[in-house]
Amino acid sequence: MAGVILSGVHKIYQGTEPLPRKWWEFWKPSGKPSEVHVVKGADLEIKDGEFLVLVGPSGCGKSTTLRMVAGLEEVTDGEIRIGEKVVNDVSPKDRDIAMVFQSYALYPHMTVAENMSFGLKLRKYPVEDIEARVKEAAALLDIGHLLERRPKELSGGQRQRVAMGRAIVRRPQVFLMDEPLSNLDAKLRVQMRAELQRLHHKLGVTTIYVTHDQTEAMTLGDRIVIMHQGHIQQCDSPLMLYEQPANLFVAGFIGSPGMNFLEADAKDGLAHHPLFTMELPVKARNLTGKITLGIRPQHLLMGSLEEGEVKLPATLEVVEPLGSENFFFCKLDEGAGQVTVRTDAATKRKVGDAILLRIRPDHVHIFDSNGEAVCHAKGEATAE
Amino acid sequence: MRPRQALTYAFLLLYLAITGGPFLWLALTSLKPSREIFLNPFGLPESPTLVNYQTAWEVGHFGIYFKNSFLLTVLTVLATLLLSAPAAYALAKFCFRGGTAVSFFFLSGLMIPIQLAVVPLFFQMKWLGLLNSRSGLFLVYLATSLPFAIFLLVGFFKGLPDSLREAAILDGANEWQAFWKVLFPLARPGLATVAIITFLGVWNEYLVAFTLLSGEGAEAVRTLPLGLANLTLVSQFRTDFGSIFSGILIVVIPTLVAYVSLEKSLTQGLTAGSGK
Repeated sequence: MAGVILSGVHKIYQGTEPLPRKWWEFWKPSGKPSEVHVVKGADLEIKDGEFLVLVGPSGCGKSTTLRMVAGLEEVTDGEIRIGEKVVNDVSPKDRDIAMVFQSYALYPHMTVAENMSFGLKLRKYPVEDIEARVKEAAALLDIGHLLERRPKELSGGQRQRVAMGRAIVRRPQVFLMDEPLSNLDAKLRVQMRAELQRLHHKLGVTTIYVTHDQTEAMTLGDRIVIMHQGHIQQCDSPLMLYEQPANLFVAGFIGSPGMNFLEADAKDGLAHHPLFTMELPVKARNLTGKITLGIRPQHLLMGSLEEGEVKLPATLEVVEPLGSENFFFCKLDEGAGQVTVRTDAATKRKVGDAILLRIRPDHVHIFDSNGEAVCHAKGEATAE
Repeated sequence: MRPRQALTYAFLLLYLAITGGPFLWLALTSLKPSREIFLNPFGLPESPTLVNYQTAWEVGHFGIYFKNSFLLTVLTVLATLLLSAPAAYALAKFCFRGGTAVSFFFLSGLMIPIQLAVVPLFFQMKWLGLLNSRSGLFLVYLATSLPFAIFLLVGFFKGLPDSLREAAILDGANEWQAFWKVLFPLARPGLATVAIITFLGVWNEYLVAFTLLSGEGAEAVRTLPLGLANLTLVSQFRTDFGSIFSGILIVVIPTLVAYVSLEKSLTQGLTAGSGK
């Protein structure tokens, strides 16, 4: 096993940008060379045995980062180390890594056992050793009875296990997983999530896991890296990301439903919103100009106003009853935006009802005009 | 059986009678002596005989022609598959300088009908000393088969997921191993299509063979379609329908065997189960 270090890693794709021309203007060039900067200076240190999750919206560069670690994409600039070795120019097969693909990429013309043993055969392991490893991995994943079947005879969940098995038999230094659960249905995904946690606990292999599903990220990762437009936004433990998001993007991305954002003007230690004026916490008193107040849906309270709280009049537009809780989607008065409120299941309201929401100032995250966090809810730590 | 289903079956039976009927008649007639063909053209053979096959095989030299055609066809099919698959794979899966130009070069081979090139081809082969030889014909057949085979297989390899190649590479395979052990077997339906089309093209080819194998002493290297034509020339003062029909069957049967044996690969979707 080994850790992985990324230092100032960039990925730039060379492409062609189409130029406008009429159909008969064949003598004019149809495009000009262009560059797409997909990963912009990624710095990461993944500890030996750590489960690190890369998460972000589509096109944020998370899969490209993973593929650069795998060696499937060249690194434009920067350095990747696996263990002590710089692997920028090392071929994928010599990096001692195994990857689980989103599409599983099982070899359709081979049986499960052949799929799992393919890598070992290519590396010329002794036959007895191969058999023993395949049996051990199959037992670990409970697929021993499927060894003679071909991938088309397996269910989605079984294929996923075989893909895992193919990675496990190699006993690599690092596991790379590219959205391995995204093709499974919701129930199976929850089941496989627990299975992955169990496997990681048992094998203790360094794992880099890519997903766009924040629930997967929060439940699986020792640490989570949030990426957006090629930049690493924040890398921290799941709880720290939730409680102390570094910026507006992280705050909006982590948590479901997402954090509510209210724009306000800061002046003389006060935040002026069209519907209320609130005293800013000590750490945010120096702010002036546009700021954003972030409030989690469960921190928008209903009921009678208590001392120090500010009120937020709104109208209920949509109700989503989930059984254990309700989500109220409300429109703020005076066109001041929309908010989502999380309430317990016992709270009943009808669409169109006027609702008086209340906010406790210590439940508010404050972001400056650049979207960087200045002060977190409950008056806790300050973002750098 | 529902009326709609019955109608479908009736239509299929009619279609079978139209397409299979003449073939059955041909097979039955080839078993009749010449006299009986005229006396009882549509009945079953009274005393089935293989004498027509014997005549075709010996008088029409079908034995030699069959061997020549078989050798040429098998070698051309194998060489086409072995050369077109790696070329198509490279064009489909890798971006390299000149890749588009190479694609267009192969495509241009599809645009020129061989009939137009027969005369220059004759002089070129003469210059190369390859007239009246199996190897000369083999080279022409291979050159004319490759463009279509590559064109078809490029589409096929493009349809195979990139992740299979990447998985093989991460498993420790080099590019050649990834191709031969993983992607080549998966292209079987495409390869079967190429094999059948090349087989049909070469097995039935007449014009180029006639042009390049027309000299004296070419008798020993001629192919079946030339033999079939020869059979009509041998019997130019009377038409020996029995020998002609049996000759046609000798030409047709290997095509049917090739098609039936490759039909499963043609229709099978081999990538089933690779992904979700």
